[in-house]
Amino acid sequence: MTNNGRKPFLELRGISKRFGHVQALQDVDFDIAEAEVVALVGDNGAGKSTLIKVISGAYQPDAGEILIDGRPVNFQNPKDALQAGIATVYQNLALVDQRDVVSNIFLGREMTRGLVLDQKGMAEATGRVLNELRSDIPSVHVEVGLLSGGQRQAVAIARAINQREGMRLIIMDEPVAALGIEETRKVLRLIERLKEQGFAVIVISHNLEHVFSVADRIVVLRRGRMVGVREKSATTAAEIVHLIVGAEHI
Amino acid sequence: MNQDAKKLVDSKAVDALLDTLEEGAADKTIIRAGGRALWMARLRGTSTVIAALLIFVGLSLATPLFLKLDNLLLVARQISILQIIAVGMTFLFISREIDLSVGSIYGFLAIVLATLIAKQHINPWVSLAMVVVLGGIIGLVNGVITTRFGIPSFIVTLGGLSILRGGALLLSGGWPIALKLGEDSTFPKLTDGRLFGTVPAQIFWMLGITIVASFVLSKTKFGAHVYATGGNEEAAILTGIATKRVKTISFMLTGALCGIAAGLLLGQVGSGFPLTGQGFELDVIAAVVIGGTPLWGGAGSILGTLLGAAIIGMITNGLVLLGASAYFEPVAKGSIIVLAVLADTLIRRRAR
Ligand SMILES: Nc1ncnc2c1ncn2[C@@H]1O[C@H](COP(=O)(O)OP(=O)(O)OP(=O)(O)O)[C@@H](O)[C@H]1O
Ligand SMILES: [Mg+2]
Repeated sequence: MTNNGRKPFLELRGISKRFGHVQALQDVDFDIAEAEVVALVGDNGAGKSTLIKVISGAYQPDAGEILIDGRPVNFQNPKDALQAGIATVYQNLALVDQRDVVSNIFLGREMTRGLVLDQKGMAEATGRVLNELRSDIPSVHVEVGLLSGGQRQAVAIARAINQREGMRLIIMDEPVAALGIEETRKVLRLIERLKEQGFAVIVISHNLEHVFSVADRIVVLRRGRMVGVREKSATTAAEIVHLIVGAEHI
Repeated sequence: MNQDAKKLVDSKAVDALLDTLEEGAADKTIIRAGGRALWMARLRGTSTVIAALLIFVGLSLATPLFLKLDNLLLVARQISILQIIAVGMTFLFISREIDLSVGSIYGFLAIVLATLIAKQHINPWVSLAMVVVLGGIIGLVNGVITTRFGIPSFIVTLGGLSILRGGALLLSGGWPIALKLGEDSTFPKLTDGRLFGTVPAQIFWMLGITIVASFVLSKTKFGAHVYATGGNEEAAILTGIATKRVKTISFMLTGALCGIAAGLLLGQVGSGFPLTGQGFELDVIAAVVIGGTPLWGGAGSILGTLLGAAIIGMITNGLVLLGASAYFEPVAKGSIIVLAVLADTLIRRRAR
């Protein structure tokens, strides 16, 4: 794989994962470099979610190896992946609607001064992150339940990249599935900004238009196998569709 | 400037322009879409304050007896025990749990406390500390059964309601237990005496507990975790919050506060009665709900609960002052609970 000549941050080699008699992943190779956006496409049940769960430490592969900066790693749980700089934005975003933006971004790792919450420090940090993402959230003290879909996505992404120092890869499972046109555009821009900041981004999407607007590379899974990797500049939507559904359907 | 670089600059400029346009437009939509919801959410908080003020002013106008300092202090004293237990219930509601056994815990601990003081002749303060710990242990049992076995807390604590009432009856044989404390005992002085000449001691206990609890809930990490646990437990777990522990601590706090309430009651009336606290859970839930803490967790405040308790206290007091039939009291209380929950539900629906 080319990666435009850059050294990959993350590599998977020969990953397989089986659930009962379903072979969810079969001998999958995958890699991604920093400041690169890779789209993961494939039909329902192709193994996309399973693959990113392996990367985020939620599932352990039956076979194959994971390398970070060329060194093999062994993720027993999401914490291990987090430690290695891999953050996941969950599909349901996992936000607390009744709480404000600051509380959500610092959920579970609130800053304190002695016994007392450092409200000011957290609000400032939140403002900084949202600025970097050029998010349009009007105030860091708005309840998250009152925000639009794209704004909520921004909060979830901001939390993901800030949960600890040294985040390098952001994984998003269908981030725009439930959004309208305008909100989708904003989230695609967020992804571009993450790339500008040097993050590696893996995006799952069923919408090829989105995929082509945001991805550098497109990885196609079919029935658990990786059936194609294409640089965006060197492929067409027709070819990707062809790879997704398989030759026998054409 | 070569062609590519020029394109880059241009696209950046267009991008920035688009951004500002977008941001402006988005600002307006959120202010419009969120505006009503925000306004309604604030309205709920304000409505408790307004209701309390209306009742206060209404009673002041209806009877000259109401505004007398002695009467106001009486109301405050009467709601002290209610508020103290309701503080614990507020933690539980925000973390999306409930304890229906608070009336029974309170009654059971009152009998245990009276037994320790009158029959075991243990120093009343030491005895009080023991029942506070015992209350915490009862809460621990409630919390562990609820969180580890996934049984809804209203079932677990409905069982507790019955078991502990039975415990109080068995322990006392159905008879009151008089404390028979000496003249010089500090216990009644500090639980029922008048501090600074006029203010009943219970009010200090109530305010002290209210202030500390309010601080914990709004200013500490634990408080933030209580809100997160009730607001979206799954999200809280994903970010590493020990939601089971948060809930269990809230149950323990509630139990311990029932112990303090039992102490205040005994200091005031001098005897433990086996039926103390029967039906009291309804008043406690009423104070919390009227105070704006919704049944579905994730929101609410201790000061709201104080207002809720004050509203209940003023209604009870007002009905007495106005010479109304005592049978009106449950009707009035029940109506306000339904109104409060109705308001919460409507706001929640409009805010979606
Ligand atoms: N935890 C599990 N237990 C059993 N089978 C599973 C599990 N997770 C996934 N599978 C199966 O593995 C296969 C791949 O599923 P996966 O969720 O990875 O697909 P996907 O590409 O994400 O599909 P979709 O586009 O529908 O989200 C499917 O056949 C699915 O039923
Ligand atoms: Mg999936």
